[in-house]
Amino acid sequence: MNRWLPKTYLTLVYVLLYLPILVLVVFSFNSSRTGYRWGGLSLQWYESLFNNHAMVQAMWNSLWLALTAATISTIIGALTALALHRYRFRGKRVLRGMLFVVMMSPEIVLAISLLALFLLVGLQLGFISLLLAHVTFCLPFVVITVMARLSGFDESLPEAARDLGASDFTMTRTVLIPVIMPALLAGWLLGFTLSLDDVVVSTFVSGPSYEILPLRIYSMVRVGLKPEVNALGTLLLVFSLAMLMLSQWILTRSKR
Amino acid sequence: MHRVLQQPFKTAVLILVWGWLLLLVLTPNLLVVGASVMTRDPGTFLSLPLNLDSYRQLFDPLYLDVFLNSLYMAGMTTVFCLLIGYPFAWALSGLGKQRQTLLIFLLIVPFWTNSLVRTYALKLLLATNGLINNALLGLGLIDEPLRMLYTEGAVVIGLVYLLLPFMILPLYSVFDDLRKELLMASHDLGAGKLSTFLHVTIPLTLPGVLAGVMLVLLPAMGLFFVADILGGSRNLLVGNVIKNQFLDARDWPFGAAASILLTVAMAVLLFAHRLSQRRLGDEARA
Amino acid sequence: MKKLALAGLLAATLTGCSSQEEPQVLNLYNWSEYMPQEVLDRFEEETGIQVVYTTYDSNEAMYARLKLLDESGQYDLALPSTYYVNKMRKEGLLEKINHEKLEGFEKLDPELVNLEIDPDNQYSVPYLWGTTGLAYDASDVEGNEVKAWADLWDDKYEGRVMLTNDMREVFHIGLRVLGHSGNSTDPEEIKAAYEKLTELMPSVRTFNSDAPRMPYLEGETDIGMIWNGEAVMGEEDMPSLEYVYPEEGIIVWLDSFVIPKNAENAEAAHQFISFVMRPEISALISEDIGYATPNLAARELLSDEVANDRTSYPTPEDLTNAEFQKDVGDDAMQVYTRYWEMLKSGQ
Repeated sequence: MNRWLPKTYLTLVYVLLYLPILVLVVFSFNSSRTGYRWGGLSLQWYESLFNNHAMVQAMWNSLWLALTAATISTIIGALTALALHRYRFRGKRVLRGMLFVVMMSPEIVLAISLLALFLLVGLQLGFISLLLAHVTFCLPFVVITVMARLSGFDESLPEAARDLGASDFTMTRTVLIPVIMPALLAGWLLGFTLSLDDVVVSTFVSGPSYEILPLRIYSMVRVGLKPEVNALGTLLLVFSLAMLMLSQWILTRSKR
Repeated sequence: MHRVLQQPFKTAVLILVWGWLLLLVLTPNLLVVGASVMTRDPGTFLSLPLNLDSYRQLFDPLYLDVFLNSLYMAGMTTVFCLLIGYPFAWALSGLGKQRQTLLIFLLIVPFWTNSLVRTYALKLLLATNGLINNALLGLGLIDEPLRMLYTEGAVVIGLVYLLLPFMILPLYSVFDDLRKELLMASHDLGAGKLSTFLHVTIPLTLPGVLAGVMLVLLPAMGLFFVADILGGSRNLLVGNVIKNQFLDARDWPFGAAASILLTVAMAVLLFAHRLSQRRLGDEARA
Repeated sequence: MKKLALAGLLAATLTGCSSQEEPQVLNLYNWSEYMPQEVLDRFEEETGIQVVYTTYDSNEAMYARLKLLDESGQYDLALPSTYYVNKMRKEGLLEKINHEKLEGFEKLDPELVNLEIDPDNQYSVPYLWGTTGLAYDASDVEGNEVKAWADLWDDKYEGRVMLTNDMREVFHIGLRVLGHSGNSTDPEEIKAAYEKLTELMPSVRTFNSDAPRMPYLEGETDIGMIWNGEAVMGEEDMPSLEYVYPEEGIIVWLDSFVIPKNAENAEAAHQFISFVMRPEISALISEDIGYATPNLAARELLSDEVANDRTSYPTPEDLTNAEFQKDVGDDAMQVYTRYWEMLKSGQ
């Protein structure tokens, strides 16, 4: 087969994937207010973004939410992965199955079920409801990331530790945790991004007392073309690019 | 009791994760099932008597149309993702290892970027005064701008754009495993290219295809914001119908029943996926 | 059960802490682009109260959200249209307005206070009133002049029509075209309007109540519905956007401030209403977003250009056949809701 055909095809798909993003970045520096024409280079949209109180507040809220949700889901997810890896227990298959189902379920199904729960127990929609929801949908992703790391790991180490009289807890802390550290970080970063990006679940379980960025963006985008959205999108792109590079760097460094 | 004391760590972990899943996954889903068989109530959202009216409503010709149309759009999305993704994953797995890593990285970058912002970026391209129309008009290829925004086509484009990586990644992982070993073997045995493709490649990549289909088809029916932004606020997807029942029309039983429909669709796909894996396992053993 | 209690406790302490340290906040639940940023800034500057502005695009969405939050008092102010004021008042979803804390109420147009929807304005204070009429892009719509709602049904507009994402307004035009009242409660008439509107659906490109001017400005639609304020704002960017008072009669509405039940900061809500009722603030709002202020003292402050703009302030002839939106009651609302869902789901 022609050597160039696959390469040309790959390039074409990448161009299509990146074209909208490129347009967004370029237009974020466009001084023209009305959408599609180029009016010269300008940083005014970044400026008006940072002068927008509500927007900055929503940004902080989102970051704090993503931070806590990622941390909690990493802790619970890592412990779960360890339990699934190390122990035999009844219902292990069910547990695995349930995590898999959570990962696969359409977000909207998770969203309305959580909404029903929060209303039933009378939990006020706000930070706590968002946190519980975000941890729930991040959890399976952390478990998978950590499990993948554990499955490639030499079993003799923990056994040696136990032979030396270490308790389960000590063994976990001193032997296992360092080994799975890169996976923990990668899982944490994944959770952080998932939380920062979520629109569907947050639409249902958020309240006015805790406004987050995706919902702000949603109401802006629905109004029409807004240059501020371009600027915000560019910032988010740079931010997630940095996060992704960080996570890749951690993973590749640990392989050596 | 003795064993519990012996392994306090294990017990604590299991209680934590089971507790979380029971409280925040199982209970809520049971509540939804419960809600779907109750009666709509304008004041308190739900009331007795129990009945199956909302399921009957699902099969009302009108809503059936919405579901079929939503399924059709999600189906188109899946087909396009597969058509683009299958050769893509194949081509990708044929490159050098270092390049593969870089290209996979480049594939994931958009996925890590806010999906709303990316949907919005598409609007910049597809709008009547947008860049595609401007470019085509400028090149003299068309005389009148094409009307692309606020059409079903625009929604499918948006869904393909958001979900393509979810099709490519599972496909890539099966191609990666497959490439070296089996293809060579079948080639050595004298099978032609087409025959290798039909009898070896396709069946062996089937689990990857099904995983991809699952990861694309289900979200494609639920992503209401894509239909809102690119489709002109009509109820184009099941996701829009569900969202409206909860956040607009306040018909919870019906919204719950529609969401259960999505869950059932997921169960069917999961089952098909398992089946294909098992068959493959059997064949490998034989 | 223990876990539940624990979660509850955690929730209580966490939310408890957070609300104490922050500066005073007023949670305003409002339509998109329905309050100039300048007003919010000036209010904050003067009182130190930060206004958090969240948006909705239909009365139904606003009402559903408030029901969902279940009297938890997270919003301090909302702006329902007339018929929802009546509904919410009757259902006990609103806090009474303390008129002793208000300043400037007496400056409001006597014709717009003490209405049937809320006798003595115990629960609501008028914010702005306006009309929903026909808009078209004169540079893109050729042929005969556009004069009536019925013109939308012309085949040549296929794929170019915009409707507001507002159940009552869309049905209003369906009903008027058939010669019925826009406030009809007769299920047969509503059904007939639904059937008439399904004929229009192939022409409808999009529904938009976030910013109805945008599809015209973006070139997506050339004709359809618009709110008068949006028409005024749209004309600034696109002079060819025309606002028409249709022959069958325009839709007239009034949006009022209400304080949802148990609002955390009802005090600030009263302060904000008084602030908006200041003549210079009301005038600023009307000039900025193009709707008509019910504040008579403010109307005297308006520039001639705005005061004589027929789009913002219609003349008596413009209002021939006009109908003011009324509450149609829960039974009729359910009929409307059902057909509305069907209309938006139809292909």
